[in-house]
Amino acid sequence: MTQAIKSEPFILNIGPQHPSTHGVFRIKATVDGEKVIDAEMVMGYLHRSMEKLAEERTYTQNIPFTDRTDYLSSMSNNLGYCLAAEKLAGIEVPARGSAIRVIMAELQRLASHCMAVGAFSNDTGAWQTPVMWCFREREKILDIFEVTSGARLTCNYMRIGGVAFDLRPQFEPMVRKILKDFPPFLQEMEDLLSGNEIFISRTRGVGVLSPEMATNSSLSGPMLRGSGIAWDLRKADPYCGYDLYDFDIPIGYQGDSFDRFIVRLEEMRQSLKIIQQALDGLPSGPHSTQVPLALRPPKGEAYARIESPRGELGYYLVSDEGPSPYRFHIRPPSFINLSALREMTVGGTIADAIVVLGSIDIVVGEIDR
Amino acid sequence: MAPYFLALSTNHWYDIRDLSNISRVILEGADKILPFGFVYVLAALLGFVASFLIFVLPSQLYVGVYGERKIIGRMQSRYGPNRVGPLGLLQPIADAIKLLTKEALTPTKSDRLVMYVAPIIFVMPAVLLFAVIPFGPRMVFANIPVSLLYFLAISSVPVIATFMAGWSANNKYSLFGAMRIVGMTISYEVPLVMALLGAVVITSGAPFGGGVLNGMALQDMVLWSREFHMWVVFVQPLGIAIYFICISAELNRTPTDIAEAESEIVAGFLTEYSGMKWGLFYGMDIGYAIAASAFAATVFLGGWTLFGLEKWVPPWMIFIGKTHLFYFIFIWTRGTLPRLRSDQLMAFAWKFLLPLSLFNLFVITTERMIWSDQDYAKGLIYLFAVINAVLAVGAVYFWARFNGYKPENTPIRPRLVKNSGGFVPVGSEVKS
Amino acid sequence: MDGGGVVFAFYVLSAVTLVAAGGVMVSRNLFHAVLFLILTFVGIAGFFVLLSADFIAMAQVIIYVGAIAVLVLFAILLTPRAGRNNGETRFAAPGILLSVCLAAVFLFVIHDTAWQTGDLAPSLGVAELGEALLTTWVLPFEMASVLLTAALVGAIMLARTPQEEAEDALA
Repeated sequence: MTQAIKSEPFILNIGPQHPSTHGVFRIKATVDGEKVIDAEMVMGYLHRSMEKLAEERTYTQNIPFTDRTDYLSSMSNNLGYCLAAEKLAGIEVPARGSAIRVIMAELQRLASHCMAVGAFSNDTGAWQTPVMWCFREREKILDIFEVTSGARLTCNYMRIGGVAFDLRPQFEPMVRKILKDFPPFLQEMEDLLSGNEIFISRTRGVGVLSPEMATNSSLSGPMLRGSGIAWDLRKADPYCGYDLYDFDIPIGYQGDSFDRFIVRLEEMRQSLKIIQQALDGLPSGPHSTQVPLALRPPKGEAYARIESPRGELGYYLVSDEGPSPYRFHIRPPSFINLSALREMTVGGTIADAIVVLGSIDIVVGEIDR
Repeated sequence: MAPYFLALSTNHWYDIRDLSNISRVILEGADKILPFGFVYVLAALLGFVASFLIFVLPSQLYVGVYGERKIIGRMQSRYGPNRVGPLGLLQPIADAIKLLTKEALTPTKSDRLVMYVAPIIFVMPAVLLFAVIPFGPRMVFANIPVSLLYFLAISSVPVIATFMAGWSANNKYSLFGAMRIVGMTISYEVPLVMALLGAVVITSGAPFGGGVLNGMALQDMVLWSREFHMWVVFVQPLGIAIYFICISAELNRTPTDIAEAESEIVAGFLTEYSGMKWGLFYGMDIGYAIAASAFAATVFLGGWTLFGLEKWVPPWMIFIGKTHLFYFIFIWTRGTLPRLRSDQLMAFAWKFLLPLSLFNLFVITTERMIWSDQDYAKGLIYLFAVINAVLAVGAVYFWARFNGYKPENTPIRPRLVKNSGGFVPVGSEVKS
Repeated sequence: MDGGGVVFAFYVLSAVTLVAAGGVMVSRNLFHAVLFLILTFVGIAGFFVLLSADFIAMAQVIIYVGAIAVLVLFAILLTPRAGRNNGETRFAAPGILLSVCLAAVFLFVIHDTAWQTGDLAPSLGVAELGEALLTTWVLPFEMASVLLTAALVGAIMLARTPQEEAEDALA
């Protein structure tokens, strides 16, 4: 007698032009009413063939390319590539260079997480207010980048062997101001969102990722830590002297979108801590070692990985003693984090799918390269 | 015959405390010239033009469009419109000109006629709604005995227009918007009417100037406030809360704007609209919000009365002030709150608001019986106000607890661990 | 019926209602038919206003336009391929026959009834209406409520999936 009412599933294209796909990314969702029963990812709209292009350019010329993969965290990408090249060529970086790199990478993490948190709250429907507050704070960091490197978004600041220029005199007061401004801002965001019932009900239990699933999908960054796995390359495989600094790894409770959100907020606090320590103990000396412009590393291969704001960012270089890399490969964290999207969205509604996509914090430039 | 409240102002045409004087002078003059009957047409036109000039247009443009953008801009630590004209004051006009000159696209496979008619149907009720709103003692265009029902009836029409818009555009996102708005309207109409019924019950039948008040008429509700020096909101705190939530759901305002949820379904039923067709939807959305604020100001906030001050300040100014004050809450929530999911909204209407509104109705009906037994003693209503405020807080708290809902008092923060390792089960983390 | 305005309004409303009612039958698209139906409801509400039955008119708009029409729209959303144009149906001829018979019966009854034409209909206020519903006509009123409740329960039964039913049996 009780025959359930049959409904017809249909395909809904979320993207490539959609306000919440953070670029040109497309989810081909099969929906039954508002329920997502299947989700297929379609990518490649922003493919620029960076890995192949890099094989035609010298090692130094490749640095600007890395700016343009993950355009929201260019410093981290510069750093990852330079570490790989230094590993390949066996170059030591002076202590001051390393410390500057740490400060820059952490400032970049703050800026990138600002963007992630703001865009995520926009996806849950908080109409522009959190994202504007985030932009306001991010702007100050971009100002620092402009003072230091001359560019705001694509900084191109790191060099093989150190950094491009030494710090300007106005750098330190500007960073001190950030250190003073950020904690109240984070508190404000927590008051507005972390304790907000509507926000919690929209994100708690949405896009739950079990620890097994997270590790099996080889996720990294806040996605992995949100699932309760304490894994941070800055601790597990320290680079640039991160082992000198005292900081904690924030981890989530059950691996849902809300956990990923609060992990990002807390990571910003920890970054401030690192910046504070690095700035206080900034060594004097040269900011860079002299490296020939036409660098010809010995034959071999190198893989360097860093904890970028989105997770494990790896650069793999193979040298055939030529002036340009024989093979240039990027392990982009967004791309691999995205692989769990289907598991997280199927079974939820369209509104949930958008929240999940926002919580992954993708950058399409990095996915498509 | 004239009740004492009409003595608020004189009958001179220059007395701006009551603008109906000037319109009466105009109409009486016109009646001498025009043939029989045409003066009624003129009266309707005059009423609409006057209410548009003193209220709807300024509210629409300078509270609805400009004020909203400016206030939300300030909330978001930016300037808001500040380029067109002094302080950006000409921005709404520039927007309107832009929309008028834009091409209104119609998708090839859409249902053209329905898509064309939908914005027109959407506009009509917004204008009609203002017919029954009392701006002052004599400043009400249609003082019909069932004006509250009239308001509810007319405000249920735009849903059909939005559904037509969503259906005809032949776009899946539009269809989602249409589906959501229909589902939401059925859900939220019920607690909305229940909440308003409480206000009707307490104002009905109270003695006034020899007769009794009719709670279904908006003007009588205002007179009730004046008679007992008491706004309905004080005896109906739960009522206005439920009214606000329900009306913001029906109006698609932000905490509940699921029908045009920008981040999810692009623009909902408006996805395929552009140009002035879109502009009509946008403008009238604000028009409905202002009408709802005016309605709330009349029913709950005492309309044009302000504890005797209406003798000196023009009553219509008091009324407009209250309307804008209520509208500010819409702006405020829009600038602050994230959006709920549609199933959560439905559950909230049926499981939370409906029982609460029934409880509210029960309480107010009991009090009304006691009150009429005590010959509408004035002191008793102040006692009820205190009782109802306590009951409202208590009812919300206990019903929330009963539903297993615990508000978070402190923002949740993640766990912190010192060292990198594998999975850390909850509770086993080593504090640094 | 006093004044030219009322007579004019009567004819306009009649035209709107009849054209809309015809549109319900003629239109091939289910959605258009519903829109015409809504227009018919609005026209009938207009008649009530003409008869000074304000409350009934408002109730007509609230219930028929605000609630029933919205429910019908909801039903359309759940209908598969509701946007299609319906083709010819073989029930056209019997349908026309039946409606002609029905119209004949109505016309006969209208013609046969001795219509009372009073000077002015007693103005029926909301209070009187409520009083009548809850005293004289309380039994039909309650019966209608029971019927609606039964329909509500039936709808919930129909809408439940077998899984939900199994869960309820366990609980």
